[in-house]
Amino acid sequence: MIGLKGTLNIIDNSGALVAECVNVLKQKVNNGWGSVGDEIVVVVQRARPVSAAASASVTAVKVRRGDVRRAVIVRTRKPVRRPDGRLIRFDDNAAVLLNNKREMLGTRIGGVVSADLRMKGWGKIASLAPKVSPYSPPARLLT
Amino acid sequence: MKVEIDSFSGFRIYPSKGKLFVRGDSKVFRFSSSKNASLFLQRKNPRKIAWTQVYRRMHKKGITEEVAKKRSRRTVKHQRGIVGADLAAIAAKRNQTAAQRAQFRVAAITKAKTDKKEKEVKKAKPTRSAATGGPKVSKQGMKGSKGR
Repeated sequence: MIGLKGTLNIIDNSGALVAECVNVLKQKVNNGWGSVGDEIVVVVQRARPVSAAASASVTAVKVRRGDVRRAVIVRTRKPVRRPDGRLIRFDDNAAVLLNNKREMLGTRIGGVVSADLRMKGWGKIASLAPKVSPYSPPARLLT
Repeated sequence: MKVEIDSFSGFRIYPSKGKLFVRGDSKVFRFSSSKNASLFLQRKNPRKIAWTQVYRRMHKKGITEEVAKKRSRRTVKHQRGIVGADLAAIAAKRNQTAAQRAQFRVAAITKAKTDKKEKEVKKAKPTRSAATGGPKVSKQGMKGSKGR
């Protein structure tokens, strides 16, 4: 349940550490609140310092404090109901930064992500993560 | 259908029930009810709460009957004959008095002695006859050749 002013940990290697939500992109029924798999707009509040060597290289896409970026929510403290009826809850709110084409800015993810991402069309992020929260979808959803 | 186990109380969690909690160190905990989740988040020790499985196992609750049954079964003893001595022979030996036993022993000793003497007498004769007598047959003849 992420809304305006909600803060999230950024768990990819883009350089950002903490970001604040400034807008939740509209879907049919999110009523201004974002959950796992929803896209949001964030402002980077805290970032890893950019070293001279890293900024010199061409490929580095580093983010700084104050940057406005798109992101996708990967963990929420608010329990999310799974299709099999269980609830799942994490210890913190977390997100992964995106570019304008809805691709990841970073190349790696450090930390567990919710399995709901795969269902919502973020399969690439789920596959990059070192651990995906356990999930066994009911049989009627598998076919 | 997969039934999960509650990580606090050890209760079973059937599908559509329960709550999953993923801690910061990405450890997963499953709770069958809000009571379990609440106690876990209060950092209560399930070993100290009487209705959890861990406590019951620790204090051996609800398994006393089985143990008692096993013990009673084990104490039953049975007598059987073993190789070379059936049950009657064993019983007869056991019921002997000391005097009887001594008597039997003396009898056995005297019998053994006489047997030995007889054997020596018997042995003395055939050894002498073997040395002196016997048909003269060459070794080849013994093996079956007819000789030249």
